Amino acid sequence: MTRIIEVPAHLDDRSFEQFAAGFGAWPPEDKLLFDARGAQWASPYGLIGMLTAGQALAEARRDRPLFAVPASTEVKSYWSRIGFFRHAADFFELHGKVPKSTASGPSDALLDVTPVRAMEDVHEAVNRISETAVRILRAELGLERAVTGRFSMALSEVCQNIVEHAGTGGWVAAQTYTFRRRLGRRVAVIAVSDAGIGFRRSLESTHAKRFGERWGDGAALEAALIQNVSRFRDPGRGQGFRQIKPFLDKWEGKISIRSGTARLAIVPAWDEDVPLSEHLPFFPGAQVQITIPAPEAEAR
Amino acid sequence: MIETIRIGTLLRETAATPYHNLITRPAGAAVRDRIEAALAESRCLIALLDFSDIGVIDFSGADEAVAKLLLAATGPGRPVVVLQGLREDQHEAIERVLIHHELAVIVVPCADGGSMPQLIGCVTPDGREAFGCLCECGAQQSFHLARTLGWSESRAQETLRALLERRLVHGDGDIFLPITIA
Repeated sequence: MTRIIEVPAHLDDRSFEQFAAGFGAWPPEDKLLFDARGAQWASPYGLIGMLTAGQALAEARRDRPLFAVPASTEVKSYWSRIGFFRHAADFFELHGKVPKSTASGPSDALLDVTPVRAMEDVHEAVNRISETAVRILRAELGLERAVTGRFSMALSEVCQNIVEHAGTGGWVAAQTYTFRRRLGRRVAVIAVSDAGIGFRRSLESTHAKRFGERWGDGAALEAALIQNVSRFRDPGRGQGFRQIKPFLDKWEGKISIRSGTARLAIVPAWDEDVPLSEHLPFFPGAQVQITIPAPEAEAR
Repeated sequence: MIETIRIGTLLRETAATPYHNLITRPAGAAVRDRIEAALAESRCLIALLDFSDIGVIDFSGADEAVAKLLLAATGPGRPVVVLQGLREDQHEAIERVLIHHELAVIVVPCADGGSMPQLIGCVTPDGREAFGCLCECGAQQSFHLARTLGWSESRAQETLRALLERRLVHGDGDIFLPITIA
């Protein structure tokens, strides 16, 4: 029997829950078909979330899932340019005509879909974003050069988390787009996702006892993002998220981390998200999204 | 004697990747090892770490390359560490990490020495004021500093001793001197 995983028409961090709910118990026993034919748009978070699902299924030794590509030529072309199909072909049996990325023209993404498996990949991602970020972030969001340096620092920190904690590889992508529904301004978004052990398992041996019965995915996220704990005893560890937060505060940025069945966010005034969501559908690994809006005066 | 260590050069010699402008945790640890090795062979009094050809130093990299170096460099006979050539975002990354460890370091903005040194990290407002006064006016005894800043002598003495203990100023008997790079 084949289970159909409906890819929402607009796949972002919100509609991702609908996507994650489609899998049922993890890892699913059925053969899967990811149906993206009706897809109209996907954020970097959505795109690398789909790759993470494919990777997790491969690592769980499940049948290679099918992937029905979007019907929209424009959507297919963009997904191709940003590198989604190039990596998706490693995990999915693609159904439908996929344009070659070279035929679709250069990507205008801050950072195309990039695998993160080792520290070299973190260096490559930061190097690639540094080349384009200054130009794009200044031109499109009116952000100062100092902000783009901090953007690279944040990218480096969240990518290193994959290498140090996930126990497997992951993905990063970054893009600018207009956040019409919630903000009405341009935003720069970094999305990072891995198919690894997640925050709860990473911190369990060193921190679960302290939380007692409260221990779970939500408590683990709270420990990492709010209390800045790390599984390492080194007092310098656990600093990454802690140090990103003042930068986000200053620029009205948002960070959300999803792991297992919980999602924790530091929510700026412009957003209506809830800080902590628990009892969500299980999804493997961890997914991080950082959103930096254009300054209000320069919104366009 | 001052030993200038170009962090970009160390990073190029150390890093296993072709990307030489980012200091992450492993790159920072490797750079710290190289700095410590260089300082072990040196008799310098001041180690001037020049970051001017570094692109990005993230918080983990700052923790490894700077905070852990300072934590190890507290003993007598170890050179005073001074940082040079930091961009605003690098300055901020290092400062946040130093505050976490309750450390402080002297920063000089550029190689030409045109600007005044400053302290970054965990320093009291009195400590910053006293440091600035020493840099501007030169060597002073605590009662001179007290008079200049309108402080009590005990406040000046306590502040200067704290700076001396943290190796942010030099001391010669009851005279306190700024650490000069020029």
